[in-house]
Amino acid sequence: MSGPRSFAQKLLALVLLAVLAGCGSAPATNPASNANSTNANSSNTNTAAESATAAPAEGSGGAATAAPPSGGAAGGDVSPQETLVFAADLSDLISLDPAVAYEFSGIEVVGNIYQPLVTLTPGDKTIKPLLAKSWDIKTTDNGSTITFKLDEKAKFASGAPVTADDVVYSWGRIIDLNKSPAFLFTDVGGLTKDSFKAVDPQTVELTLPKTASPQVFLTVLSNSVAAIVEKKVVEANAGSDFGSTWLNDHSAGSGPYVLSSWERNTQNVLDANPNYWGTAPAMKRVIMRNITEQANLQSAVETGDADIAQDLGREQAQALEGNPDVSLVQANQTQLEYIGMNAKIAPFDKPEAREAIRYAINYDELNTLLAGTGKIVQEIIPDGFLGYTGETPFKQDIAKAKELLAKAGVADGTEIQLTIGAGIATGGLENATLAAKLQSDIEKTGLKVNIQQIQASELLNQYRAQKLQMVMLSWGPDYPDPNTNAQPFTDYNAKSIAWRNNWQNDEIAKIAADAALAPTNDQRAALYKQMTERLFHEGPYAVLYQPVRTYGVRKNVSGFQYDPATTPTIFFWTISKS
Amino acid sequence: MTRFIIQRIIGLVFVMIGVSIITFALSQLVPVDPAAAALGQNAREDQIQAYRHELGLDQPALVQYATYINRLLHGDLGTSIRTRRPVRDDLRDFLPATIELSLAAMIVALIFGIALGIVAAINRNGILDALARGLALVGGSLPIFFLGLLLLAIFYSRLRWLPGPGRLDAVMQPPARVTGMYTIDSLLAGNWATFKNSLWHLILPALTLGYYSTAMILRMTRSSMLEVLHQDYMRTARAKGLTEQVVILRHGLRNAMTPVLTTVGITFGSLLSGAVLTETIFGWPGLGRYATASAVSLDFPAVMGVTLVAAIVYPVANMLVDIGYHFLDPQVRLS
Repeated sequence: MSGPRSFAQKLLALVLLAVLAGCGSAPATNPASNANSTNANSSNTNTAAESATAAPAEGSGGAATAAPPSGGAAGGDVSPQETLVFAADLSDLISLDPAVAYEFSGIEVVGNIYQPLVTLTPGDKTIKPLLAKSWDIKTTDNGSTITFKLDEKAKFASGAPVTADDVVYSWGRIIDLNKSPAFLFTDVGGLTKDSFKAVDPQTVELTLPKTASPQVFLTVLSNSVAAIVEKKVVEANAGSDFGSTWLNDHSAGSGPYVLSSWERNTQNVLDANPNYWGTAPAMKRVIMRNITEQANLQSAVETGDADIAQDLGREQAQALEGNPDVSLVQANQTQLEYIGMNAKIAPFDKPEAREAIRYAINYDELNTLLAGTGKIVQEIIPDGFLGYTGETPFKQDIAKAKELLAKAGVADGTEIQLTIGAGIATGGLENATLAAKLQSDIEKTGLKVNIQQIQASELLNQYRAQKLQMVMLSWGPDYPDPNTNAQPFTDYNAKSIAWRNNWQNDEIAKIAADAALAPTNDQRAALYKQMTERLFHEGPYAVLYQPVRTYGVRKNVSGFQYDPATTPTIFFWTISKS
Repeated sequence: MTRFIIQRIIGLVFVMIGVSIITFALSQLVPVDPAAAALGQNAREDQIQAYRHELGLDQPALVQYATYINRLLHGDLGTSIRTRRPVRDDLRDFLPATIELSLAAMIVALIFGIALGIVAAINRNGILDALARGLALVGGSLPIFFLGLLLLAIFYSRLRWLPGPGRLDAVMQPPARVTGMYTIDSLLAGNWATFKNSLWHLILPALTLGYYSTAMILRMTRSSMLEVLHQDYMRTARAKGLTEQVVILRHGLRNAMTPVLTTVGITFGSLLSGAVLTETIFGWPGLGRYATASAVSLDFPAVMGVTLVAAIVYPVANMLVDIGYHFLDPQVRLS
């Protein structure tokens, strides 16, 4: 061997050694063993300082004395056993101010920190007390008045009691800030800042106009937007935006958890509220980890890095089936994927042409395509809400579709444009895949379908401008009451979905409006059924499905419940680990 | 040297002005309304108008540009429409993660690329050479997203030798912020466990992101070394009785480095674009992911902020390469 060769061998050996050293010593630092060691010696000063402001009564050191057995040490050390790691795509988070947050992830975080006056509990459609222990609805000439009695036990994380003053301040902020969820108060409720007042420290009076149903509005009040913030704390940090920016990194609520940190794009850390007035949560810390790739979500719950993984895809769920450590939980969501047809653009100005589309779609094959990620629904009220009928009058009938088209005078080969958004449809299927399926179904009737795929934001701009001939899109409810769908889908004057499709039918809109105002659940359900049955054939929609999401939950986790109608949809405080 | 750097910095200012004009013009040409996009399906027209007003979008384009430049000169990059935070704060949060990842990738690429390049050159046409060239070929053609998922599947999901996505294990608290780079900050804080954890988290993304650069540097080192190995001065050095190590590293490598340095400069640019994919796969909260999310939601202030940062990185990397030439070969004049 000559000189250069032997030198090369030495060099190569060095590189190999480096590689081996890297891999070889890694097992020593597997996540679990590491977690113990660091948690013990890294008390993060940053976190401790932040939560100290949010909960002045509680320094990280004083936990033991201030809050006896229930005391979560906000910002202090928490064992992995008492830590819940929740992995999900949280990239839509933009605000943690209850009056501003209106994204799925935002509502999940806020709902575990703040409490509204009333609430819905999993699997139950009746409104229950929370910060308000009771309320009284009176009908007046101008509408109705709801008088709330606050629970005198209720207190904020600071230890201060929740008063009527805090309620009026919190609701006033929503209207002052006028951000995305403000319409729930200003439009759905028809409220102004004069609509609510504190009668005494324990009593709040809310006045609703005739147009708003008190039953519907109580469900609005169960949303995170209507949750109560501590006036004194928020005012002290108000800045120029009513404390909105401050609330992104601190919390001022009365819920089971307080916000310890929000590392943008990475994770949110919630710690048990040491002064919580309800039953102390078993999990002292909840880490909500932002994981966007589905393969990574699967790995996280498979390895135990995460206790719960949200929104596993089809392949991931299949791969986890039979895993001894992970259970799969399927949960209906309340969004709807639907086709909208513009009633002023030919051929859809003819009701027969719209009906033909509904008969052209092969719902059985659609169901196969969804493979468990969605449930076929043909009405505008999803399963999970009052008024859902479960009726599916349409199934593919090409002969009938052709006949309807002929009746409408639509020539064979007529071109229609189907506009869809970029990315995925609700439930996780690619928009393009779903649209291609619809295209092949509809083309069997002799129509020619051109698919136009554009950015979702641009699609919305054109849709709002009533410019789209046929659109495939998803709709998500704003509050857990059927009116949240019935009104936009039927009321042309609400300038929402009916308007965007240029469809006006005042009779059907009237039924929907009456259904919202009817006093009992039975009366309401009967009216919604009537609305649904007319909308099937007269409306401008072909409703396709509602998504079903899949959670991967470690087997040692108990108390996991999901209900799309509650805020938040997952109560972290009912969860425990063995 | 000082004059050279000053000249480059002046050049940089012109580049920035050009970039700001182009991105601003593009933002005006895109036929969409960022305010409507930001407020979602349910926003009323008056809310959209109010938000447009708040963002200054109802002003004429020139006024908007003037406001933008004026703010920029005061160090204000505007407020992101999506995150509703100052773009400067967002960049401060996300940039260090990307710098940390890119530097780690560059270190990987330099170590493996140069070492394997030398080995391949010395073993020309041997088995090691064939292996190294094969590695380079794969590196040049394997898409990042595939490599990243493959590495995760093997080393995280299957073997569990290395941790999964993210910069730290979920149960770990990040170190107190100094530079924003977890490895450095945890060392500064003297927190050994966090340092080790962040380093392990860095390995797979750095390998993924650095693989392409490794391949390029490996090829360039190999061919450049081959040329140098047969030069007369190498024979002279050996004839003088110098050890093989000294001959190759001091006489050979130093002379072979100039073209390698050029490659480093070029691939550094590719690191930034590669970061977008790598960060998505590895849940790395860096600039690449921020840029993608901003672009998709038509968040022009954020997109312009990212573009300006990218516009600084390229010329600065080039300048460093030029200075590097000077050190490798003093005959190279900086002007």
